[in-house]
Amino acid sequence: MDIVVCVKTNPDLQMVRVKDRVAVTEAVPYKIGDLEKNALQAAVDLRAAAGGKVTALCLAVGNRKAAEDVKVALAMGADEAVVIDDPALAAPDQAAVATALAAAVKKIGACDLLLFGEGSTDNYSGQVGARVAEILGLPQIGYARKVEAVGGAVRCERSMDDMLETLEAPLPAVVTVVSEINEPTIPGLMQIMKAKSKPLQVWSLADLGLDAAQLAPTREIVSNLAEEQDRKHILFDGSAAEQADAFVNALIKEGVLGR
Amino acid sequence: MPMKIDAKLGLDVFKLDKEPHIVIDNDVCKAVCTDEACLYVCPADLYERDDQGRMTVNWEGCLECGTCLICCDAKALTWTYPRGQFGVQYRMS
Amino acid sequence: MEQVECIVVGGGLAGLSAAYGLASAGAEVMVLERGDYSGAKNVTGGRLYVKPIRRFYPELWDEAPYERPVARELVTMMAGGAHTTVEIASDRFTAGQPQSYTVLRARLDQWLAEKVGEKGAMVVPNMKVDELLRKDGKVTGIRAGEDEIGAQVVIVAEGVLRLLSSKAGLTSEPQARHHAIGYKEVIELPAGVIEDRWRLNPGEGAAHLFMGDCTKGMMGGAFLYTNKESISLGMVVGMDDMRRRRDGSESWQLLDEFKELPQIKPLVAGGTVAEYSAHSIPEGGISQVPKLAGDGYVVAGDTAGLSLNALVTVRGMDFAIASGYFAAQAVLKAKEAGDFSAAGLASYEASLRDSFVLRDLETARSIPNVMENPRLFTHYPQAIGRLLESVYTIDDQPQAGIVKKAWRGVRRDFMSVATVKDAWSMRKI
Repeated sequence: MDIVVCVKTNPDLQMVRVKDRVAVTEAVPYKIGDLEKNALQAAVDLRAAAGGKVTALCLAVGNRKAAEDVKVALAMGADEAVVIDDPALAAPDQAAVATALAAAVKKIGACDLLLFGEGSTDNYSGQVGARVAEILGLPQIGYARKVEAVGGAVRCERSMDDMLETLEAPLPAVVTVVSEINEPTIPGLMQIMKAKSKPLQVWSLADLGLDAAQLAPTREIVSNLAEEQDRKHILFDGSAAEQADAFVNALIKEGVLGR
Repeated sequence: MPMKIDAKLGLDVFKLDKEPHIVIDNDVCKAVCTDEACLYVCPADLYERDDQGRMTVNWEGCLECGTCLICCDAKALTWTYPRGQFGVQYRMS
Repeated sequence: MEQVECIVVGGGLAGLSAAYGLASAGAEVMVLERGDYSGAKNVTGGRLYVKPIRRFYPELWDEAPYERPVARELVTMMAGGAHTTVEIASDRFTAGQPQSYTVLRARLDQWLAEKVGEKGAMVVPNMKVDELLRKDGKVTGIRAGEDEIGAQVVIVAEGVLRLLSSKAGLTSEPQARHHAIGYKEVIELPAGVIEDRWRLNPGEGAAHLFMGDCTKGMMGGAFLYTNKESISLGMVVGMDDMRRRRDGSESWQLLDEFKELPQIKPLVAGGTVAEYSAHSIPEGGISQVPKLAGDGYVVAGDTAGLSLNALVTVRGMDFAIASGYFAAQAVLKAKEAGDFSAAGLASYEASLRDSFVLRDLETARSIPNVMENPRLFTHYPQAIGRLLESVYTIDDQPQAGIVKKAWRGVRRDFMSVATVKDAWSMRKI
């Protein structure tokens, strides 16, 4: 079973700090998102059971070192990697991402199963898997917590709060996974060294037969500010009882209590 | 009012492993230690005694400076760096 | 076992400098760094003296991501509420190629790692080395997790704690007596405020050291370096002094108390703390430098104890870069001769001895002992403060002449048997 796993390198969110309500992303390293690592691990596990090839398909989106960072996917066990890197894709919307990915999947050719994380760690729209399935006309199963190959089909399990659902789709198909599906392995040094010699291609939009105009964003982000945290900085003195009284009175005064 | 040490550590990035990278052998503490240096040399104030009087370390906030290790004459600490991908990650410093 | 030519343990300045030299000459190099990136686990005070290292890799130092060239040097002696500051702003600190720059390691090391990568070395982040492999006394490679990789030579630049090298018997375990704890806050301030506050021309920086009350008599002091849009403010305290202290105060509180002093408060006013960090510092001087090379290995940087606290100048990063450079040259020589034994790598120590690194450490041989003298951090700052305070004080009594006031202070505080002894012990620093 040939599997393509779509991964995106995102700014490492843990490393982003907020200064004057704006996220400081300068010098923040990029990394493959955690959910995408789950998808990669699922692909590697499926390959172990069903054979075939795993290709990591990475969208650079503004990461100038994407071709370097994607090697983590190769170290985790992908056989090949493809990076889509084009200045026109520096800040794409979900439609543009899906269009580019779908075109790349077509170009890769052999693909029985297309895996995604349920959402990316930066925007978490959760749209891209479904959009790609729609463009390619493939069946899609979302939020899988278990994936197995069954004959010419993929069987997935997903949690629907009060019940477990088991779904099957004929291949080729698109599946998005949730974090419960597995514990991604941390690649060891040998795996990292071996990843160096695995095939890695970088494609531009032209390589995919697309032009920038087709992928122009349909919306513009005007402002993106962290929530303002306005604290009252009121300290209460006295005994515990006095403090409690003062605290309750202050809450009433603020209109938080006793409405 | 000075910033609390917890608040300072709250500014740092800590990537937490599941297992601690510092383990205290309290038997050694009891038998050998005379100065409890770890309690006051740690620049992150991570060491404290629990209700039972056992020494504990909040290793999650470790700055990985190694001061506790160097100052522990009793050799009560099993101290390694966190695994790759884990521990403090400085963004400036 | 998989084999590579050279493995560098630790992607800090020493390791990266070695890797840069090796990769530039076409050697196969793999750098193993445990942080998310080079610099993620590093802390500097910090200032880098660039002048000593310019001749190594001259193409690098004009484009390094520095913070500010240091144009103004200040040292303050604090005692009993009186702060006496000596200050020098010399044209020659910054004329042409400045002698030193303030730096932040996350930026500096990441940049150097990228340069090393461009030269063809493989820099692997997130990779902790767990063991140095030895066979018949020779270092043969490393183990990381379950993977063992062999190497012709291992450059051990694992940092100050020597966790791997001491276990392998290449170095000794660090001792409190020979180490200091350094910790600091990076406090954000607008560039204009920094330049106004420290009276700097745009882009220029200041380095300010403090000794005396701030460490409560313990060996060490406080430091303040101006970065582009932040200051690095921290403390260095001798571990042995800190450990022996039994007054209930804790190391981290010293900085808070320092920041609250009326003389210091205005320096940090309006700033926002952005990061808090700590690191151990080797301060044992040349007597604590281990064997620098042996069969299949060399040690560099902090692991080799190459740092020098000479009270007003504090160096380590320039030594690290220099030792990395010499390590690379020695390994290349060994490679040419096909001899990675202790004898084949002996040129490493020889060139360090010829260079400023071990020469400056040799010159400063007695400094660690002098620094153990507590009067340096109590009596002298107090004496200087008292002396100048008396000269500047006017009260309701008839005043003695300035010279008389000063002479009184000198006689009282600088002419005892102890101070003469101190002066004798300091003659060599």
